[in-house]
Amino acid sequence: MSKRKAAFYSMTIPALLLFFTFHTFPTLQGIFYSFTNWDGYSDGYDFVGFKNFKALFTDENVLNAYLFTFKYAIVVTVLINVISLLIALGLNSKIKFRNFFRGVYFLPNVLGVLIVGYIFNYIFANAIPTIGEALGSETLAINILGSEKWAWVGIVIVAVWQGIAFNTILYLAGLQTIPRDLYEASDIDGAGKWETFRSITFPMLASFFTINMVLAMKNSLMVFDQIVALTGGGPGRATQSIAMLIYQGGFQGGEFAYQSANAVIYFIVIVIISVVQLNFLQKREMDA
Amino acid sequence: MKKKKMISIVLVSALFAMALAGCGGKKDAADDGKIKLEFFQNKTEAKASFDELVKKFNDANPNITVTQVNPPDAETVLKTRVAKKDVPDIIGIGATDTYAQLAKSGVFADFSDSGLTGNIQPAYLNMMNKLTGSEKVNGIPFTANASGVIYNKKMFEELGLSIPKTWDELIATAQKVKDAGKTPFYLTIKDSWTTLVPFNSLSTEIMGIDFYGERAEGKTKFDSPEFREVAEKQLKLMDFAEKDMYGKGYNDGNAAFAKGEAAMYLQGVWAIPEILKANPDASVGVFPFPGTNDAGRNKVISGVDTLLTVSKNTKHPEEAKKFIEFLLKSENVQTFIDQQKAFSAVKGVNQSDASVQGFNEAFESGAIEDFSDHYIPSAVKADTIIQGFMQKKDIDAYVKQFDTEWDKVAARK
Repeated sequence: MSKRKAAFYSMTIPALLLFFTFHTFPTLQGIFYSFTNWDGYSDGYDFVGFKNFKALFTDENVLNAYLFTFKYAIVVTVLINVISLLIALGLNSKIKFRNFFRGVYFLPNVLGVLIVGYIFNYIFANAIPTIGEALGSETLAINILGSEKWAWVGIVIVAVWQGIAFNTILYLAGLQTIPRDLYEASDIDGAGKWETFRSITFPMLASFFTINMVLAMKNSLMVFDQIVALTGGGPGRATQSIAMLIYQGGFQGGEFAYQSANAVIYFIVIVIISVVQLNFLQKREMDA
Repeated sequence: MKKKKMISIVLVSALFAMALAGCGGKKDAADDGKIKLEFFQNKTEAKASFDELVKKFNDANPNITVTQVNPPDAETVLKTRVAKKDVPDIIGIGATDTYAQLAKSGVFADFSDSGLTGNIQPAYLNMMNKLTGSEKVNGIPFTANASGVIYNKKMFEELGLSIPKTWDELIATAQKVKDAGKTPFYLTIKDSWTTLVPFNSLSTEIMGIDFYGERAEGKTKFDSPEFREVAEKQLKLMDFAEKDMYGKGYNDGNAAFAKGEAAMYLQGVWAIPEILKANPDASVGVFPFPGTNDAGRNKVISGVDTLLTVSKNTKHPEEAKKFIEFLLKSENVQTFIDQQKAFSAVKGVNQSDASVQGFNEAFESGAIEDFSDHYIPSAVKADTIIQGFMQKKDIDAYVKQFDTEWDKVAARK
């Protein structure tokens, strides 16, 4: 074995082992438990076959969690991508204090999700209602996180506020890969701002768009921390995401095996969505 | 040569991975020869009080160091740690469904012959046996709590109100407060668990605590006139709450009540220290929640607030027991209940604080009953169901949801 290869193996194998120990092995364990009736703390359990999976498909709470999560994920993915692309375009143009603004826009990504969540919780519960009261607005005077109908909007606001930071950075990186001469050419052809964006900037950003869409979608399908900090899944089950349901049912409710089955299905769903999304978007990249 | 190299690489990486995996969990690399014990407890309100007692114990026992651990959402943390087989040495939690489940699955030591129960009020020991359905003693009751209605004494005086003894009187009192332009009840529906406080009173007083045992055996259903009465009264209370009741949580409620923003607060005595922290001059009193028009049926809801127990697998059972013995000493119980406005489960220790005198009569006459939600399996998530009901206000759907969730959870066992 050449020295070169040895170096590669000595890097790959530890990583592989770590990955297996902390990722693959727990996953297999989870799949194993999904066929049992283990509550998460008893010494013994029985095998129940596909009983947990069958029960999942008739459980209204599971359906409700999936609906909420998809609604949330689609809205957040679209908003994050639109807004971060706009910000990136702004930050890429020749403006004063460009680096300062780049730093400021990246800041939310550095803060912990829970901290951000608790701060916004305070804003929604106290600051906005106080302002609403002063303005005499009925709708602003109440905490939207307490409303079954609108609580999800509060979570979307926080998630988007924090999520755009990272995607903006990726778009900015993407914008810098576009050769200047393309713009010069479009300038000579007399193309307008919109035309330039539509025909040059956006197509050239296609691969970054794909990555950003997939990442944002995956992250928002796994939404958890924001909900813990903002609503705890309430009111009722109005903002209970799938991850939240797995945690609450599995650990708080002592239905470890049942929620393991839910996690297995959820895992499959996320894999399917990511693959489909990648395929679709990459095809679009080719066309562009 | 090649093969050897490969093997050594694999071995080294395996060792590396094992060393990493070994990092978690181990905490007592005691170099000073002291025995280290972890004391895990679930009451955030009681953190400072326990710190004081733990310090006193550590000072008196130079060879033992007890460390208090008090994470948020402690019951869930405890369950996950039990799943990892990493049970804390000493545990202080409430006698809830979590405790019952863990006790049933044999996580805790058996104290039947420990000699620790002699001085404990038998009523609370019975309550715990009823909860676990076993004669074993898996935990020692330390303190009890009580819930009902906390009221603003000063506001009651100003408005010339007296303590309501029946449901009709309660509503009449609330109406008078409302007519005076003030908020009768401060509800904190954003934190779903707080909705359990009036629910427990109403359900226990109207249906009786045995309802849940009968429901588990399939003899009765939530879809009954009695439970509908509970639901209607839950809705009635909301007519007298502040405007943004859905958007306020427990901490908001404590602060608002301390500032005198409401006449009555449907909470347990555990909220009183928090209220007094927010405003030391708040004039606070308590009275039993009158859920029915038959004053004899209206009770104080009281359960074991903190019980002390030890992991079956702790390495230092003797020292752990010593710590529990220490906490159960009259003077230490007294310190704790004085600070927490709780009631003692240890005989001969009494709560004399003025703010909770309103419950004394009930305690003396035995008009107390356990929390009904302790008998609802936690997977049913009663608090979530109630919180959802308070938004939709649909009694038929509510009653049905309780029944279907209960059956679903039972079927998954």
